[in-house]
Amino acid sequence: MKKISFSLVIVALLLLTACGGQKAAGGTSGAPVKITYMEWGDPAELDVWKAIVSDFEAANPNITVDVQVSDWDSYWTKLKTLLAANSSPDVFAMDAPLYLDYQARGSLLNLQPYIDKNPGMLDGLFPITLEAYKTPQGYFGLPRDFQTIVVFYNKDMFDKAGVAYPKAGWTYDDLRATAKALTKDTKGDGTIDQFGYVIDPWDMEPGWSEIVWAYGGDIISADHTKTLVGEPKARQAWQFLYDMMHVDKSIPDPNTTSQYGGDLFLSGNAAMMAMGHWAVPSYSEATFKWDVVPMPTGPAGQATSVNSAGFVIGKDSAHPDAAFAFIKFVLSQAGQTRLAQMGFACPVLKSVAASPAFLQQKAQINNQIFIDSLAYAHMKPVFKGYDEWASVVGDGLTPVWNGEADLTTTLDKIVVDADAVLAKNK
Amino acid sequence: MDYGLKPLGREKLWLGVMLGPTLIGLVFGALGSILATLVLSFTHWDLLTPITPAGFSNYVALFTNPAYLKALINTFEFSAMYVPGVVIVSMFVAVLMDSKIRGISIFRTIYFLPAVTSAVATALVWNMIYGKDTGILNYYLSSLGFQTVCWLCTKNAMVSVVIVNIWGAIGEGMIIFLAGLTAIPSEYYEAASIDGANVFQVFFGITLPLVTPSIFFQTLISTINAFQAYDYIYMMTRQGQGDSSVPVVVFSIYRNAWNFFNYGGASAQAIELAVLVILLMGFYFWLERRYVVYE
Repeated sequence: MKKISFSLVIVALLLLTACGGQKAAGGTSGAPVKITYMEWGDPAELDVWKAIVSDFEAANPNITVDVQVSDWDSYWTKLKTLLAANSSPDVFAMDAPLYLDYQARGSLLNLQPYIDKNPGMLDGLFPITLEAYKTPQGYFGLPRDFQTIVVFYNKDMFDKAGVAYPKAGWTYDDLRATAKALTKDTKGDGTIDQFGYVIDPWDMEPGWSEIVWAYGGDIISADHTKTLVGEPKARQAWQFLYDMMHVDKSIPDPNTTSQYGGDLFLSGNAAMMAMGHWAVPSYSEATFKWDVVPMPTGPAGQATSVNSAGFVIGKDSAHPDAAFAFIKFVLSQAGQTRLAQMGFACPVLKSVAASPAFLQQKAQINNQIFIDSLAYAHMKPVFKGYDEWASVVGDGLTPVWNGEADLTTTLDKIVVDADAVLAKNK
Repeated sequence: MDYGLKPLGREKLWLGVMLGPTLIGLVFGALGSILATLVLSFTHWDLLTPITPAGFSNYVALFTNPAYLKALINTFEFSAMYVPGVVIVSMFVAVLMDSKIRGISIFRTIYFLPAVTSAVATALVWNMIYGKDTGILNYYLSSLGFQTVCWLCTKNAMVSVVIVNIWGAIGEGMIIFLAGLTAIPSEYYEAASIDGANVFQVFFGITLPLVTPSIFFQTLISTINAFQAYDYIYMMTRQGQGDSSVPVVVFSIYRNAWNFFNYGGASAQAIELAVLVILLMGFYFWLERRYVVYE
């Protein structure tokens, strides 16, 4: 049986600390400089990053960039180990909700002086994507790309059932009726095997934040001290999802979802799904026709979530100038165009978001909807202790979705536990 | 304990050369890290900011943190089912596998396969077996006219993961018991058959007492494994945001260290886990002196 050798890691840390202290001077033009860029991602992304790096190196002959891509889980473990050993990569990727966990602990370089030296460099970016990285002391990170959540739908499944495609401006009641009409027991064995709508009910991003906002609720208070998911308007949204799942049975519960390997939309078992642009490259291989439609409108209007993945520079980077030059290049027309063509996310640079590089990709879908969604998007919250809080709330509700616990009492308990996490991370 | 051959002269030198790499690894890898964990357990450390002293607060949290207490109770509950399960099932399989029929090595290999199969792949297959509507197990249950079971729902998940962990450990247990069974002199069985003993009398009168050393050893190993069990459990019970519906102590240590920026607390939990295992081992060795029969 495999065990986790924490102790080995600690020793590795101590050894790394011992030899990671020295810092080379450099980063100025002329002397050759080597910087490291680390990110999470799919191995397929490495080729695109290599192309970006070679463009960058052609424009900056004295800088070479070493790109390292890890999967999501190992990325954060690796990053924390490197930071603890004072040998962090020069530039590394950051998920906005986790940003303050690193920024508040002083692991990141303040980019404000570098931004000030490049007046106008942020002018072409969508302002809401910058929001997450703003602190009273300035920016300690910049967005690289962003995700808005929209509804993906399987056109073939709609056609077969004779149901009209969803249209922009639809409401949550429309969504519920459409989902109900598309929920079927196609094999006739007494078990539903085609679901109208699928969400990740444990995840706020493609799961529940959109409907909580659309019902006029909120997630946490602006000062990050109070959990708001148990407030009356949010509870209406929870009840709506609960009824779709347990009354209509048009949303599968987590136990059911896991039987399908997690992705019912791609496996052709779900007609609609709330999802971000990261799913587009794999769905472009789908054997059915599909498209996207904006999130529905709720009693308090239309709402979706926007989250930006970003860049930060390690506080102890030996080459901050070169590192910042690399960030600036990725935010330029050339860098953003390459990222847009990769198709995993939306470009933060407005001009590229309006260009064919983003709008015309392999999957023949209306990419413009991801951009237009910014008009009514709420920022996915950014606060210290996000991981633990999100687990208390998201995983805490899983027994409710699985039909093993009561919604009201579970929410009551979750709010207390979640507030305790916020207090601990004050 | 004084048996076996003793190294003499030049053999002593070679003994040192051969054992050296392992010993160095143990001193730096195991001993060094045990000490480091012990030191860290008295500190607050989030990996990013400087280490600050914490006194006994991490140890106080062991008794007050509800999430950790739940994990501790789960670990005990898991061990209480897993250890006897592995010992009994793998002994039973070993007795079956001890026969001299054709192709027995194929059966032995099949029972050993889980031990050499990736835990992640195994857990994925078990997830399919345990599926609520599409799982094979519920398919057979319903075709036999039984009520289907939601195997991985919170209330049943513990028993379901214990079954998978026992299944995964049969192979190694079987090897231990086969070694013990083979060591029993055949004269005893011949004498028993001359005296007309039946299968049960042979098993309880000869086999069982003479495999007590194997039972002891297997119980010890299974207990250590039970306290460190993590991979199958996590793979089968993990939830969307990284929690588990059957959190165990090793899981709690991992989460605190890597997800909750609480390396000091994780270290204290690791120390407590080690102390508990050491205490249990002491108890086992006391039992060994009283009950284990060495021929």
